[in-house]
Amino acid sequence: MLARVANNLFWMGRYIERSEHTARYLNVNYFSSLDAPNELSQSRQFVLQSMLFMVGDPVKDPSEVLLEESVLYKIGLDPQFPFSIINNVKYARENANSARDLISTELYESINKFYHFVLNYPTEVFVKNGLHDFTVNVTEMSSILRGKIRGTLLHDEIYAIIMMGINMERATQVIRMINAKYHDALNAQGSYGDKFGNSFEWTTLLKCAESYDMMRRYYKKKPTSISTLEFLILNPNCPRSIMNSLNQVYDHIQVLDPNKRYNKHSTAFLVGKVRAEYQYKFIEEIEGDIQNFIDDILNRLSEISRKMEKEFFDY
Amino acid sequence: MSLAYSIHYTAENSYEHWVHKADWQFLIIPETNATQKFVSVEFSNSINAVNQFSINGYGFPTIRIHPKQQFKEISFEASFKLIKKEVNPYDFKSHSNTAEAFRKIEELDFKVDFESFLSPTPYTAMPSKYQEIFRFDSRITIFENLQELNHWTYLKIYFKTGVTDVNTTVNEIIEKRHGVCQDFAHLFCAIARLNGIPARYVSGFLHQGNGYFGDSQMHAWVEAFVPFVGWLGFDPTNDILAGTNHIKVSHGKDYKDCAPLKGVVFSKGSNETRHTVQVLGQLQQ
Amino acid sequence: MQKLENQIFSSYLRNPSLFDEIFDKKGDVKAVYQKLFDLYGAHSIKDYVKLNEKAKSSFFNQGITFQVYGGKENQEKIFPFDLFPRIIDSEEWDIIERGAIQRSKALNLFLWDIYHDKRIIRQGIVPMELINSSANYLHQMIGIDPPGGIYNHISGTDVIKHKDGKYYVLEDNIRCPSGVSYVICNRTALKRALFGVFNHYQTYTVTNYAENLLDLLETVKPKGVDVPNCVVITPGMFNSAFYEHSYLAKTMGVELVEGRDLFVENDFVYMKTIKGAEKVDVIYRRIDDLFIDPLEFKPDSSLGVPGLFAAYKKGNVTLANAPGTGVADDKAVYTYMPQIIKYYLDEEPILNNVHTYHCSRPDELKYVLDHVHELVVKPVDEAGGYGISIGNRLTKQEIETVKAQIKDHPRKYVAQPIMSLSVHPTYIEDTESFEQRHVDLRTFTVLGKDREFVLKGGLTRVALQKGNLIVNSSQGGGSKDTWVLKK
Repeated sequence: MLARVANNLFWMGRYIERSEHTARYLNVNYFSSLDAPNELSQSRQFVLQSMLFMVGDPVKDPSEVLLEESVLYKIGLDPQFPFSIINNVKYARENANSARDLISTELYESINKFYHFVLNYPTEVFVKNGLHDFTVNVTEMSSILRGKIRGTLLHDEIYAIIMMGINMERATQVIRMINAKYHDALNAQGSYGDKFGNSFEWTTLLKCAESYDMMRRYYKKKPTSISTLEFLILNPNCPRSIMNSLNQVYDHIQVLDPNKRYNKHSTAFLVGKVRAEYQYKFIEEIEGDIQNFIDDILNRLSEISRKMEKEFFDY
Repeated sequence: MSLAYSIHYTAENSYEHWVHKADWQFLIIPETNATQKFVSVEFSNSINAVNQFSINGYGFPTIRIHPKQQFKEISFEASFKLIKKEVNPYDFKSHSNTAEAFRKIEELDFKVDFESFLSPTPYTAMPSKYQEIFRFDSRITIFENLQELNHWTYLKIYFKTGVTDVNTTVNEIIEKRHGVCQDFAHLFCAIARLNGIPARYVSGFLHQGNGYFGDSQMHAWVEAFVPFVGWLGFDPTNDILAGTNHIKVSHGKDYKDCAPLKGVVFSKGSNETRHTVQVLGQLQQ
Repeated sequence: MQKLENQIFSSYLRNPSLFDEIFDKKGDVKAVYQKLFDLYGAHSIKDYVKLNEKAKSSFFNQGITFQVYGGKENQEKIFPFDLFPRIIDSEEWDIIERGAIQRSKALNLFLWDIYHDKRIIRQGIVPMELINSSANYLHQMIGIDPPGGIYNHISGTDVIKHKDGKYYVLEDNIRCPSGVSYVICNRTALKRALFGVFNHYQTYTVTNYAENLLDLLETVKPKGVDVPNCVVITPGMFNSAFYEHSYLAKTMGVELVEGRDLFVENDFVYMKTIKGAEKVDVIYRRIDDLFIDPLEFKPDSSLGVPGLFAAYKKGNVTLANAPGTGVADDKAVYTYMPQIIKYYLDEEPILNNVHTYHCSRPDELKYVLDHVHELVVKPVDEAGGYGISIGNRLTKQEIETVKAQIKDHPRKYVAQPIMSLSVHPTYIEDTESFEQRHVDLRTFTVLGKDREFVLKGGLTRVALQKGNLIVNSSQGGGSKDTWVLKK
């Protein structure tokens, strides 16, 4: 497979995954804030700030008054904002375009439909009363795309590359959400006697990662900071956890680099190493210094990404 | 008696910003032919990129370089050694029947054989107002006509650098009346072709030390085809026939086919290029 | 004008002075179309409107679109597709197929000759100007023997049916003829919409194009290569024909590369893969000559591969079509086609050539200037239907302008009698009815070493504007599925 095309497929996977997380983050935060148990979590400014923080465009001046419609437009449909959903979908399609001869017609057709859906979504409707409809459609279409990827492509190198993109992005997005919600939980503590550990934000976070129900099933208790982080970071059976994503990246990279030979410079080696580190971590180690731990994961993920690029995409 | 030549060529390029992608092609290796033998080539570049020995579209030997790492400065150095046989440009059996020669150039077969060097090119297309600028005289031989053209071109243009550039066409040359060897050669070619004589642009090195024009850079002259005789070299820049001091590299329809250095470099900002050429000759018994 | 008794054709206006593909002079349906006519007639026009919408959205969702330049960013258009197919019976097809092969072979021999001995010029059969005044004659190609002896591996021959009922060739496209993907998409779309109609006709498939193309490309592999590695090279996804490039790569099962994916080392061509360099042997190129190698041709082009031409000249890679084929699809060469066929094959042309007047010849120039009103005047070197003037459409003043242009640059123009393209019932969205529209046919011929293939079908292009004779997609044309019937 061409190195350039591999790179495009990797990024196609990433953009598809990113659209989904961004859309769900908007949806969950907006709608759970409407009846949140404390005043701050219910505050519209607080929610809008959280959204901007999550997409990587945090508000610099906390006293700035954000307009709901313009924030939603920016993150959803603004073609000028590089991290908007519309741009994610556009990039996903462009990347798919250049690899069109390698992917199935069915997959391409779904991406193309997805693109036209987002492109033609009326701005007026979206910012006024279409948030739910739009974001639900985006998340569902992303799921359909993952289904097409899994169900219509040969499970070979091409598949492995796309899946690596998806899982790298999933890990990145989940950790970004954890980061954003960790901030929110810090800021929201104290008000209404809600302590950090039992913050309402942890429930929101789980919902953002579509993991709330399973988490309840597993712990049978109201989420706390500890149980939420353990579930979303370390539990290998939670499909959205960092651990699960790393395991998948590790599996897929074996397809590209089946060398069993010891090579400490390979990406496969690095992924294996990072994976092993988290595999044997326990949450109490992390608890004391969550911020550092989040930063560490983000760094490790981008290190893997850089190495991947060098080894496979940058011939 | 022959001359042992040693030619030294350098090119230095520097760029304001990092260059990530570049390709160069050098067309500077002396040709091996009847008078040039035992050509040896040494070539190196400052960033240890692979030097690929290849050919251009007309089969002349080239060196191509495609660095795999980024750089801001790169220099190239080439050394050639060869033996040049002494050439007496007047030493050919002249064809006495002038009329027959002029008839020959009218023949279709002749025109087809030399089509490449008879048709005008963007560099050598003569504007209609100058079609009559130099007409051959059918009372004297074609060789004599060409000699006159050589002299005429020499007088027509003043050698001066910086007036023209690599894109200058014949029209501008005639109007500006200043130029460098490339312009002399283009004008000569254009007029020879207008008169039905195949003419090709020649690129090469000129032996220094004789006070000739165009000796610190690569030089350009012309070869014209004289019926029943063959290709003969004319150097209108110096008003002489090409001889032992002319070391040929390549020929073509015009400069475009013979550009010594072609580069495709993707870079932002300004850049600088410097070339030097040194030709040393030693008499051999 | 006559009206017809058939639900769907109830408002069909037949102009008896035009050659209608499905109705004869008396207005009766031709035998070969009778069944189709009845089947379509069983539908109401409302069904049609729906089917048409469905077909359109199917094209759109599949992303079978082309970019429109100059508009705003998201200008993506589908190539309009007509649901009423064109039928060509086996006898007529036989003529077209043999004619297309004959022309492709003759052009191939012509190309070999003008890049070697130039015998045809020496013998005075065609003038020297065909090569020495053509911008597409590549001197670098002189003396090169392309692998398998083939220059124009892929040819697109454009034919029309005149009002005399005979086929004429309008143009031979032997640079990078496009459109073959639409032939296949049209078939797919028609099957999806109206599969029932196929049961009543024995039609040749068109989906075997890619496998034949790959087979034939493999016959022209460079010397010493056992199993050649073929690729398709595209200018990139913003090229208007990118869909076709990716379609061909996909159906041939080969890599679709861009210039930046390839590099040349020691005169061999390699592509950059995730596992390092992989040698490439045959390149089906969809990039024009001057862009294939910036070190040899246009230096400011980033579409090509530096050093590619040297690799080609050394015989280490095959380029299809060969560089320099463009010289043979100049309109000036077209006018000599009957002589070219006769000279190389010693055969009479199977397909007619439209008679052509050369404005470069004084006597013909005079005729052209006197008859501009009844001629089509074309610049010799423009493609895509640009710069053409059709005499009977011009005002007096326009005729004078055209005459002045010809007088200024007589060599630049040729003129032909106005051909009356045949018409075919075509569904027109604006009026929600079937109307007569002019059609032509682009056929696709592939030449390999000692083998050739003609796609049994082709792209029937429709001039969607009423009365328009120019069918190029850049000029607002649509297309039809084209059925070639088995014997």
